[in-house]
Amino acid sequence: MPRRVPTVKDLRVKLCYICREEERADDPTQEGPPRAWTHPCSCTLIAHEQCLLKWIQSSQSTATRAPNALKCPQCGTAYEMESENTIVLRGLALGNKVLQRVGRYMTVFGAAAAIGVVGTSIYICLTAYGAWAVKRFIGEEMFNIILTDDPVNWPWSAYINLPLLPLSLILSRFKSSSSSMVIPLLLVWPPSSPVGDASKRLFDFWTQPENAARLSTMSLLPGGRSLLSYWPPPPMFFGLIGFPIIRSLYNKCFAHLYFKLLGTPLPAPRRLPRAGLRFNEGPFVIRIRAQFDEAEGQEEAERAQADAHQRQLAQEEAAAAAAEAALLGAGDDAAPAAGENPDANAAAVEAAEQLIEVDASSLGRRIGGALIVPAIASAMGDALLGLSRHSHWLRLFLGVRGAGMGAGRMPLPPWGRYALTASDKTWSQLGVLQQARVGLRLVMTAFLGGSRTWVDSDPVWWRNGVGFALFVAAKDCIQLLHLWLAKRELETRRVKDRDFTGVDVRELDLLVPGRFK
Amino acid sequence: MASISSRRLAKELREIQAEGCPVGISLVEANDFSKWVFTIQVMGDSLYQDEVHTLQFRFDPQYPISSPAVQFVVTDGKQAPIHPHVYSNGHICASILGNEWSPVLSVIAVCVTLQSMLASCKKKERPADNDRYVKHAPENPKKTLFHYDDDTV
Repeated sequence: MPRRVPTVKDLRVKLCYICREEERADDPTQEGPPRAWTHPCSCTLIAHEQCLLKWIQSSQSTATRAPNALKCPQCGTAYEMESENTIVLRGLALGNKVLQRVGRYMTVFGAAAAIGVVGTSIYICLTAYGAWAVKRFIGEEMFNIILTDDPVNWPWSAYINLPLLPLSLILSRFKSSSSSMVIPLLLVWPPSSPVGDASKRLFDFWTQPENAARLSTMSLLPGGRSLLSYWPPPPMFFGLIGFPIIRSLYNKCFAHLYFKLLGTPLPAPRRLPRAGLRFNEGPFVIRIRAQFDEAEGQEEAERAQADAHQRQLAQEEAAAAAAEAALLGAGDDAAPAAGENPDANAAAVEAAEQLIEVDASSLGRRIGGALIVPAIASAMGDALLGLSRHSHWLRLFLGVRGAGMGAGRMPLPPWGRYALTASDKTWSQLGVLQQARVGLRLVMTAFLGGSRTWVDSDPVWWRNGVGFALFVAAKDCIQLLHLWLAKRELETRRVKDRDFTGVDVRELDLLVPGRFK
Repeated sequence: MASISSRRLAKELREIQAEGCPVGISLVEANDFSKWVFTIQVMGDSLYQDEVHTLQFRFDPQYPISSPAVQFVVTDGKQAPIHPHVYSNGHICASILGNEWSPVLSVIAVCVTLQSMLASCKKKERPADNDRYVKHAPENPKKTLFHYDDDTV
């Protein structure tokens, strides 16, 4: 018999390193069926095949233990496995691994996509609102010429300006007054040219020789056209010069009225309170606290104020906590603020303001109020148009014209083309003087006339703007009235005095005891 | 038929009772096959001279395929040794209790390994993240995914 290397079958005593069961080859009392043994490595450890397989399977199912699953814990020899590991199974395992990796990327991309989707939908909502606001404000006719309902026709700037519109509207509510919305609208749209079908029709119309000829005979600035056709002022001109003048005049008037009525000067333009914003949402109080320091404040002064500010914050915090606990009584807020002001009258006004503010400081009210502005403007404009039917002067003031395109009249082409067709020579043929004149004309048309289409269309934007201005004025007046009444109510407050009905006279320490029953 | 787990533990217990524990280690309690308690002491020159610590083993029915849950007892006035791998709640950060556990190890082998871990310690200190870990640690140390970064101590 040739000598051979012993195997696990040749051992007299077998000890499983996993379950620690022993099996003696010469033990006849062995119970149960014989179990398979294996010697998987290069040292003396042996195990039941079932125990080892269980261990390997269990280790492989834990990622951190998997690297140690297929080797001997003592000698480190790698276990060799034999199994029905078909190509299909290996393919599936590989596929699983690939999918796992892809899945990880999916997690990242998915998160990015989710953010993208949310962002996009917000963007779309903002843009849609912007388009709606513009339509309301400049009127349907102008809207169809320079923007149209179809986003395909929009100039690229619209995709930036439109979504910014609601944001600027909302932001304007947190600054001074609500009237600043006209600015973005007026400055953004005038230079824009007609788009889409309208643009094509315009172009076709004015490139026809007979029409082009008519253009060159028309002069640009007064003369040829009646002065009235320059009313209302061009939007850009108005937005840059007219509007600020009117606003400052209005503010002066309002401050004057405020002083007359309340006997105290109008406080400096309402800025954000130092303690941040505070919104009263029924059961909730939302506080947005950020450092909105005035830009012009010197740094040192700020640092000096910082401490006081901190203390004030702490007080406010305490007051707020108390107020919240006590169902947010109005007096809690009004009292400390009123105490700060040395002037009794001003203090009363401030207290009244706070009283009103308590019922008017909802976040939804501010944002909703801001977003409804175009609708208000449009409604006021319509109302003015209705009124103008009864008044010739109002009609003149509003510059009401028939619908431009609708009436079969062609608006004049955009300024650029117009200015250039004003001369029948090409640029190089012009003398220096003429070149300067055309250049000046270009600039002037842009500034004074804006787009010719603006000038020649029914100025819905003008009556809407005027209407909204009236609305703001009315609103301010009502607010002032409210403030005045609230202040008067505060000043006339008395606690009603009662006699001692129902109290035993003997318990009172009276000056002249005998005189009462 | 008793489970593999209890048969193996029974055998380990028989061996302990027959041969006794290694020096410095003694069995305190082994009433069942779910929890055993030992005391452990570092012999000879070490930072832990004259300190006796209590070590608790908890076994689940998958033992020895799954590792025992081992920790120092920190109740009843007992304390965990101050060691860079031992948290103040008794949890031990040792790879053989985690991903390097193998069925070839036994309860006594774990005790001896931990004993030598203490004996080789150069500086008595708690792990750097002790406070943070103890605040959020699960009751069972096996549920913690330790990061075994330092094999030298």
